[in-house]
Amino acid sequence: MRRPLLFALLLVAVAIPMTAQQYKDTEDTPKDTVIKRDETVKPDSRYANMPDEAVPYRRFTKPYYDWFVREDTLEYHGAADKRPDGNPAQLNEIAIGFMSPIENNPESIFGIPELHGAQLALEQANARGGYKGKPYALKIHNESALWGASSAELVKMLFNENCWAMLGCVDGQNCHISLRVSLKLEVPIIDVGTTDPTVTETRIPWLLHDFPDDRQQGYTLADYVFKALRLKRIAVLRTQTRYARIGVAKFNDEARRMGRQPVLEVKFERGDKDFTHQLQMLRDAKVEGIVLWGEATEAGLILKQMRQMGMKQPVFGSSRLAHSPLLEVAGPAAEGLVVTAALDPTRKDPKWQAFRDAYRQKFNEEPIDYAAYAYDGMNLLIASINKAGLNRGRIMDALRDYQMKTYQGVAGTIYFDHTLNNLAPVNLARVKDGKFEYWLAPRQHGHEGDKTGVRD
Amino acid sequence: MGTAPLTPTTSKTWGPLRLAVPPLPLGGEGRRILNPHAGSPTYHLPSTVYRFPHFCLLVFAFCILTCSISLAAPRPHLITRWENYTIANGMPDAKVFCVTVDGPRVWAGTENGLVLIQNGKVAKVYLPADGLAHRAVMGIAVDRSTDDLWIATFGGISHFSGGHFENFTNLTSGLLNDICYGIAVVDRSVWVATTAGVSRYNTLSGEWSSWSEKNAPFHEPWAYGIAPAGNKMYFAIWGGGLLEYDVQGNYWKPYTDPDEEMEIVLFKNQGLIHIIVSNVAWNPDTRMIWASTYFGLSGYDGRNWHNYLSKDSGLASDFINAPKSRRNEVWACTDKGLSMLDYTTNTWVTYRPGKQKGQGEIEITWPDGRKQKLTTDTALAHNYILNMDFQGEDIWVATALGLSHGIRDSEKEIQLYASFTNSQRIGNNPTGRFQKGN
Repeated sequence: MRRPLLFALLLVAVAIPMTAQQYKDTEDTPKDTVIKRDETVKPDSRYANMPDEAVPYRRFTKPYYDWFVREDTLEYHGAADKRPDGNPAQLNEIAIGFMSPIENNPESIFGIPELHGAQLALEQANARGGYKGKPYALKIHNESALWGASSAELVKMLFNENCWAMLGCVDGQNCHISLRVSLKLEVPIIDVGTTDPTVTETRIPWLLHDFPDDRQQGYTLADYVFKALRLKRIAVLRTQTRYARIGVAKFNDEARRMGRQPVLEVKFERGDKDFTHQLQMLRDAKVEGIVLWGEATEAGLILKQMRQMGMKQPVFGSSRLAHSPLLEVAGPAAEGLVVTAALDPTRKDPKWQAFRDAYRQKFNEEPIDYAAYAYDGMNLLIASINKAGLNRGRIMDALRDYQMKTYQGVAGTIYFDHTLNNLAPVNLARVKDGKFEYWLAPRQHGHEGDKTGVRD
Repeated sequence: MGTAPLTPTTSKTWGPLRLAVPPLPLGGEGRRILNPHAGSPTYHLPSTVYRFPHFCLLVFAFCILTCSISLAAPRPHLITRWENYTIANGMPDAKVFCVTVDGPRVWAGTENGLVLIQNGKVAKVYLPADGLAHRAVMGIAVDRSTDDLWIATFGGISHFSGGHFENFTNLTSGLLNDICYGIAVVDRSVWVATTAGVSRYNTLSGEWSSWSEKNAPFHEPWAYGIAPAGNKMYFAIWGGGLLEYDVQGNYWKPYTDPDEEMEIVLFKNQGLIHIIVSNVAWNPDTRMIWASTYFGLSGYDGRNWHNYLSKDSGLASDFINAPKSRRNEVWACTDKGLSMLDYTTNTWVTYRPGKQKGQGEIEITWPDGRKQKLTTDTALAHNYILNMDFQGEDIWVATALGLSHGIRDSEKEIQLYASFTNSQRIGNNPTGRFQKGN
């Protein structure tokens, strides 16, 4: 009888350390502070500035092959540059396609500012003389909520409107299908609004992306929640959308690899008003904190109902929550909320100030992150057209030159990796006294990029 | 010693190349067994040989095997001549997305219309003005029972019959989406890979069926390619891996990247190499399915996966637009040339334009990793390859700068190999490079 008992005890003794193969808080990690970087790790040696804890299979094996960490990641070997150049003398305008949710789409709250940012950049470029005296013209296409309906927009831009490039995107799906079309038709895409990290993980050399993606946001949030605050029991509350499903995945991955797997993942539909059922589940699970991945309006309602139910757990969220509708809906219930933010609008640098003033003057509204990144993306595109001329292949070559370089935009410092994705550190924002307070939260391996490679 | 004098057969017929293996120096009683999967001959020895000391025998056998593997791999057949169809000789656009052979007729889909090539020249160009659904033609399939054409375009699909086009779009039919990449005809069914999933049209009843993430295990619905495989269909899904559909059983089986990470290949033969699959091909001879990705090439034999990267094989590039396979050949349309794997011998041949204008380059990667370069007088129209098809022993290749017709010429092939052998004998390499493999 004693032998099985001994065996069981031995099994438990072995199993406990094995299950404890998880993130260990170090005693010298101060609470509620930013995490210092490990300076011994070279910034570009690991894909996407991945923190140690987020590296897949790191405890088991080294991968047979790593993608996206080499210069040839987006190397192009096609013949787009062999196609005849456009002749400005024979053109009335230099057409640039724009696709974003403008109408009949709940995401038009991001799409319209994106349009305004792009329009402002083009207006300023035209004031400087356009391209060889010809004005730039934006060909506006709506990104439909029924995403399949947007699939042919890039085709129309090329064959019906002779666009030299496309700028836009909010929804990751629409961006993916445009990217697939662009692989065949070879039209440069400047993606200034998606947070889907897989958009730049295709090796299709026809896209540049400047908006901080959910991988960067997820890592930043995981660092803050698990390392700075040292929380252990976390739940995820998210919308039943692709945005939230893909978005929260990287946060979940890092949490799991740190041994902090969210104990619960609860979903709700976009447009829901009553979250009692979901909140009761979270309360019963006795979680220490809640990560919200969704839209500002629903998040505001959730915060309100949470506090009404007496739930005092801290709440964290993604960048779509860092907008004024959340503060308006949640009111005092938003106090203490911490979210990732794609933009710090309280910055004092002259570039941002000048953009904000011009934007306010033209559109009579405050610019949000989507407007700033669209403005920066359009300026990147205009600079590439000016450099390369009217040839889609060479325009994309010029955009590819931003690989591993830094761009100082109105949204802040943009650092492009080998996939032409922006890896700049993400801001965090906390609601205090009814306003967002911002701070830059460098991650363990975060970096601002190679200063020697700054391009304007 | 023990090295087989390897030369290709000089027979005019192009069957599988025979390996000329010398008789064993053991009384001529050796019995050679060619193992089609091992890539080199193995020997069964008669009992009489046991009169020799075992040690000597083992050493001798080892020498023979080593030599035969490293030096005596069968020489693959070569495409020795290229004829190109470009804007200069009648193509409506430089970019050719797809090509389909229909007996003596060759159909090419370009960025500006459908092209018929017959008797060595561009015979006819079909544009939207002629009734074609859209100018950008992504896929072409021939209905063998009627000789009709089915054409996938960026504006729906076209049915070309009796000189007339009938079009099907998202608004006018049950087609899931107008952005169509691949098309295949099996019996009375026309299968279409669209950007919103897979559609099937029954040509007899006119009924449409559709599959997407709503009713099938599509991780993402973005379909890119189709390969009929007997009573099964395979679909290349961008972001969704490879999907197998059993037509009679009406059930789906997904094959996805088992490491579930976009940024790594965890193990060499882990399963499907990546979740973004650009196209798919079925080999009826070996009954293997081949998937191309922008992250390498994957083959599945029903039991094991066989993955290839440019770092561990003779593959020209990991960025592959489409595969094609028959007999023991697997072709990969990459952005840096057209690669062919002889699956039986693990020998690779890559075709690409040479550095000198007009000349072509053939790079052979032998099973031991050695590389050998040969030069041809003609070249592929461009190194960026989008698609290909077989026409007997010839091939047709869709490139970014025209359509190429690759021709096998046995005499020329012997000359090419001989030129290399001669140059080696006098210590000179006419191709200028003979580098050690990776």
